[in-house]
Amino acid sequence: MGIANLQSIGLVIDILAAAILVTAFLIVSSRNLVFYIRLFAIQSLLLGVVALLVVVGYGEMHILIAAILTIVIKAVAIPLVLTKIIERIQVQKEIDFSINITVSLLLCGGMVILADSVAQSILSVQRPDIPAVSRVLSVSIAMMLIGLFVMMTRKKALTQIIGLLTMENGVFLSGLSITYGMPLIVEVGIFFDILVAVLILGVFIFRINKTFDSISIDLLRSLRH
Amino acid sequence: MSTVLFTLLLGLPIAGTVLCALLRGRKPLEVVTVVGSGLTLCSGVWMMWKVITEGVVSSPQGWWYADGLSAYIILIVSGSAFVVALYSTGYLRRQIRNKKVDDQQLWLYYLLINVFLFTMMLVLLSNNLGFLWIGTEATTLATAFLVAFYERESSIEAAWKYVILCSVGITLALFGIILTYFSALHVVHVSGNALLWSSLIQVAKELDPGVLKLAFIFVLVGFGTKAGLAPMHTWKPDAYSEAPAPISALMAAGLVNMALYALMRFSILVNRAVGEGFTSTLFMIFGLASMAVATPFILAQRDFKRLLAYSSVEHAGIIVFALGIGSPLALFGALLHLLNNAIAKILLFLTVGNVQMAYDSKIMRKVTGAIKVVPVSATFLMIGVFALSGWPPFGMFISELTIISAGFSSGAVVQVIAFIAILATIFGGFIYYTSKMVLGEPSAAAKGGDAGKWSLVLIGLLLLALLVLGVSIPPPLKMCIECAVNVFKG
Repeated sequence: MGIANLQSIGLVIDILAAAILVTAFLIVSSRNLVFYIRLFAIQSLLLGVVALLVVVGYGEMHILIAAILTIVIKAVAIPLVLTKIIERIQVQKEIDFSINITVSLLLCGGMVILADSVAQSILSVQRPDIPAVSRVLSVSIAMMLIGLFVMMTRKKALTQIIGLLTMENGVFLSGLSITYGMPLIVEVGIFFDILVAVLILGVFIFRINKTFDSISIDLLRSLRH
Repeated sequence: MSTVLFTLLLGLPIAGTVLCALLRGRKPLEVVTVVGSGLTLCSGVWMMWKVITEGVVSSPQGWWYADGLSAYIILIVSGSAFVVALYSTGYLRRQIRNKKVDDQQLWLYYLLINVFLFTMMLVLLSNNLGFLWIGTEATTLATAFLVAFYERESSIEAAWKYVILCSVGITLALFGIILTYFSALHVVHVSGNALLWSSLIQVAKELDPGVLKLAFIFVLVGFGTKAGLAPMHTWKPDAYSEAPAPISALMAAGLVNMALYALMRFSILVNRAVGEGFTSTLFMIFGLASMAVATPFILAQRDFKRLLAYSSVEHAGIIVFALGIGSPLALFGALLHLLNNAIAKILLFLTVGNVQMAYDSKIMRKVTGAIKVVPVSATFLMIGVFALSGWPPFGMFISELTIISAGFSSGAVVQVIAFIAILATIFGGFIYYTSKMVLGEPSAAAKGGDAGKWSLVLIGLLLLALLVLGVSIPPPLKMCIECAVNVFKG
């Protein structure tokens, strides 16, 4: 592929990575569970497209299957399952925060700066073979931090799942950016684990709902010490 | 030859899983699980023997790998699974008689024990660090429904917390593994090999120290969550107290050791790349912190299964502390302690399970005078607590003494004094609570009825094993542990 084409693919990947980061911020500022799930689906779709571009632009064929799995499992299947769950248990869709949106967004902005400095220190290794897409490493680390933040501050059980999946997306993007993705069989195993984890957590949500009549984790406080 | 061994160790639990999935009825499920885990243990012994006599064993395509360290941990994990499978038969029969468990739950229990054993073998035999990760996350998923087994509000809550916390931890560990892969890619030119332990360890000195340090921090937080090191230990008391007693035993003796194994593997790699000091300091900090954090919860506790869970946090801390000292003597002590802790934890969770069933409660205030209600289990409990607290003539006395003397001789005097002080305090707490439970007049809640004869014989044998380990370390065991310590030296 020509240098000009490669440069434009690199540019598109940068733009997509920025868009992925925007979805993470929108998740932080969203008040509605349905939006959470849709934003996560969009985020995963963009991630899948980034993976496809790595296949096209840099000839890393082994990532093709991981890209397809990202779109099929993370952008379609998991959002469908989660949507079904909130329809079935007819949960109140407003989310309670322990930190309000403005402060949350400021904190997440700080996390992006932190993530960038960590990424720079990783990439400071002088090596000829650092992938061209390694620029998006800071976005991936920022997503891990924001996912963790969502898990710690949002009180619905479902938001914890979305936070965890955002972290997973961040880790997948980090793999893409500095190594062009892990070997295929490892990626497939990881997808399998994630899917099973979401299904198990889904079953627990049903059971929590049955016994507590709500899926707010505030109620999950009977075990202490 | 080596292919046969790997096939057996991975295939037996898979066969057990498939058979359990197809079979119904108590008897066949019991037979499959007990025979399956027994044969896995035998294959583990065979693997250990092969590693001692012939050195590292790996499969032709490099997928699977076993050295002294993995073989030794496989012995402990498969041995724990076998003992727990044996005890589970009696435990579940009594639960069915008391109408606490139905046929569907019984089936799920045996099925998931087999899956759990398979996932642990996957972690211990993988040459590929990616597979090690996949296996570790799978152990969490395999045990999720076992923790939520009784379907109470509190058990679902515990299972939720367990899956969420361990998944977050392990997601961070995955980033650590990706960083390791990144640093290996330009040294190991075949990208498929850059995640293989066998090739990583050969090029360890050429890996970038800065990246590997960062990778180790993520791996330590991730696998430390699974091992239950403070401050990531908060799932442990909930999960251990809500799970059925034999499952808590298997988690404390199998899962924790498997997670510690992953930490040891990474520390060997990182030590070669960046020198000993870095992992030592982190291990000592996390080790002492885990011991210190567990102490107040052991001193002020009302639930005896949570008491044991905090003891598990403490002992994971002891082992990690010994890894931090890092001398061959300390490593010997750590690996010996791994075995002692596994035996003592199974012993105590099982006796405590008997007491819990007799009183239908795990709240210590409601359990008094156990010596009159369940005399045999109460005696085992009292002696077991002395053994767990590191008293002679039991095994933990020897391993803790080894760690302490290794610590003094490598100059970590202040840390070792803190270590001893914490051990003594925790001993006080344990003896206080146990004597109140065992002695005195029985409370009204006591229904009585100890476990069956064979369950008690099994527990007696565990106690005997701790006694033997306390008198002298049998030469074959010494050989196994020395073989495992050699892996650290390389």
